[in-house]
Amino acid sequence: MTFRYLGADRPALAGIDLRLDAGGVLLVVGPSGSGKSTLTRAIAGLIPRDVPGEWSGSLRVGDLETATAAPAEVAARVGILFQDPGSQLVMDRAADDVAFGLENRAWPLAAMRARVPDALGGAGLAGFERRRGSRLSGGEQQRLALAGVEAPWPAVLVLDEPTANLDPAGATALFERLAMIKAERRTTVVLVEHRADLAWPLADLVLALDATGVPIDLGVPADVLARSGDRLAREGIWLPTDASSRAAPETFASGETLASGSGPTNGIGADLVELRQVRFEYARGNPVVRDVELGIGAGERVAVVGPNGSGKSTLLRLIAGLLRPRLGSVRLDGRDPARLPATRLAELAGYIFQDPELGFLADSVAGEITLGLDAASTARATTLLERLGLPLERFGGRSPYRLSGGEQRRLSVATALARRPRLLVLDEPTFGQDRRGWEAMAAIVAELVGEGTAVVAATHDDRFAATVARRRIEMADGWVVADDGPNRGPAASHRLVGA
Amino acid sequence: MLTPIDLTAAQERSLLGRASPLVKLALALAWLVGLAFTLRAGPPALLTGVAIAAGLAFGRIPPGRLARGLAPLALVAASIALANLVFSASNANPSSAEFARIGPLRLTREAAEVAAALGARVLAIVSVGAVFAQTTDPTRLVDALVQQGRVPARFAYGALAAYQAVPRLGEDLATLRHARRIRGLGAAWHPRLLIGLLIRAIRHADQLALAMDARAFGSGPRTTFRPIAWRWTDLLVGVGGLAALGIALIR
Repeated sequence: MTFRYLGADRPALAGIDLRLDAGGVLLVVGPSGSGKSTLTRAIAGLIPRDVPGEWSGSLRVGDLETATAAPAEVAARVGILFQDPGSQLVMDRAADDVAFGLENRAWPLAAMRARVPDALGGAGLAGFERRRGSRLSGGEQQRLALAGVEAPWPAVLVLDEPTANLDPAGATALFERLAMIKAERRTTVVLVEHRADLAWPLADLVLALDATGVPIDLGVPADVLARSGDRLAREGIWLPTDASSRAAPETFASGETLASGSGPTNGIGADLVELRQVRFEYARGNPVVRDVELGIGAGERVAVVGPNGSGKSTLLRLIAGLLRPRLGSVRLDGRDPARLPATRLAELAGYIFQDPELGFLADSVAGEITLGLDAASTARATTLLERLGLPLERFGGRSPYRLSGGEQRRLSVATALARRPRLLVLDEPTFGQDRRGWEAMAAIVAELVGEGTAVVAATHDDRFAATVARRRIEMADGWVVADDGPNRGPAASHRLVGA
Repeated sequence: MLTPIDLTAAQERSLLGRASPLVKLALALAWLVGLAFTLRAGPPALLTGVAIAAGLAFGRIPPGRLARGLAPLALVAASIALANLVFSASNANPSSAEFARIGPLRLTREAAEVAAALGARVLAIVSVGAVFAQTTDPTRLVDALVQQGRVPARFAYGALAAYQAVPRLGEDLATLRHARRIRGLGAAWHPRLLIGLLIRAIRHADQLALAMDARAFGSGPRTTFRPIAWRWTDLLVGVGGLAALGIALIR
């Protein structure tokens, strides 16, 4: 089976050839842009029906040809779960959302009333019938979406990076549910997942794709690992062995030497960031950040961890002066960042948003790089872009919105670092990154720290928190519940004169 | 407005809570049209009273919640009335009767009557709207539109899903403004934000459409998980509401 998107110069998927027995679990792995998502959408019949492009070959679910079958027939057999939990909940309340797929398949009312609580219970959401999807945590939303996809008993369940937006606990809970589905052997599962430690043990069959959408290997996990493990690692694919060893990748290790060799390292510098009794609430009486005391020194690298909704992103925005605390004070380089003029703030802090698209301000990559920058900073950003594999000659005229997810992320890194900020704030920097993107990010962080920049990253990525960061701040329900840093707050820290 | 209102159990079980949203919607429209036929302040004032009393008695809306919802809109009604009172052309007309004089400002009886009528009309409209919103769950409204109003399901549930996505756009707008500020451009309003927001809206719509499609939406005949049937209470609410309108207009 081969598919090429309309206007693309090469196929997104080329020559996929495989057979999956009913009740089996297929894991699809590959670097960013290898066509994994395209494959999931093709199995669900959404490609080529909803997406213009060139299709050849044959893809059958049971005896049904997905490309030509009626949408209702494909939807009756295949359920698909996407990576963003928020954008796939259709109805307001949990029970209504689970019932939505049943209504569309014209189930009788009595059958729906029996199945809905059942499907919710199966997803670990018993009693959630009347809850609003928008008020659930990310992990709960994803399990609710899974309940909705599972409810009509699809023969094939397709999951496209289902844990990308989830905290570790949410990801584990989702995989526990998948293990139960596998044990029942009633549903065939096609899974695309970066979390190799969770996904590989579950798979009966692994399909590995290279960056151009051409299959590298197909087989049972142990065979694929033995046969093509090195090739997979070279292609930028995470392997189950990576997580357990927790070793820093090589590129990062070299950056590390550079960091410790030149310049301040583990937060010995004066407090660059100082938070005193900081409280923030979006709605009155409902604080999302509570009484936080924090000091971060120049050259520190801090990971902020905690479940979805624990206040990590809000804390980052307070530190960067994008939000003003309701109580308490924030100091960045001795001043209140929320009151700094934008130009001054931009020199002090760079910020990489979880969704890079929201950070774009111009119509072209070249425009992004020159926007609001002087000649020296523009030159620096241009060099940075080249290092990140986005040379201006090739990408300068492209719209930032038309870049792939990985390219967008790299562009946002270049724009955030152009001014040599003293503080770099990252919101989920490794979100959905393949091994190469991850290593590039780790290397950049190491290099920045070497130059004395403080790095603060909110992350669900245990590997990033354990190997790239040197300090771990854990949040829960708005509180900082753990902090292994040397200066836990201005009171405990040895603040220097003039800081 | 953008986050769904949580109705209490009492609100949902109340007469107005159980009445078909379609009846309430039709009634609200009838009142609106009826009010267009009168220029007096009396009928809209009476209907405002009826709407609020019905909302409290038959809709079991907590009074504090209704007051909080109405307060800003009542202020709007008052300022419209005041502006019409002060800037009315009849104030300058020597033949119209003087009503009050504040320094150089002459207020006439005609101006006062028009102002009162306008203010009362705005108040009536917002009260009806508030009572409707405080007794009607959006999902139930769409269910009624589809099942009782024969609105195509594809359109109605698509619109409902889009409505649920609106709060996300609000979050996106905040992030877009933050992105401008951290890049040295200031967080003030800028037309560029609209482009960013538009792109996000299209992205959300794409994802949502794909998700709905994948769940067989619009693929054939569909059943309903929340059937709504006509009841005698719908007749009661409809007749009562029309009677109130009739009395207000004729009196």
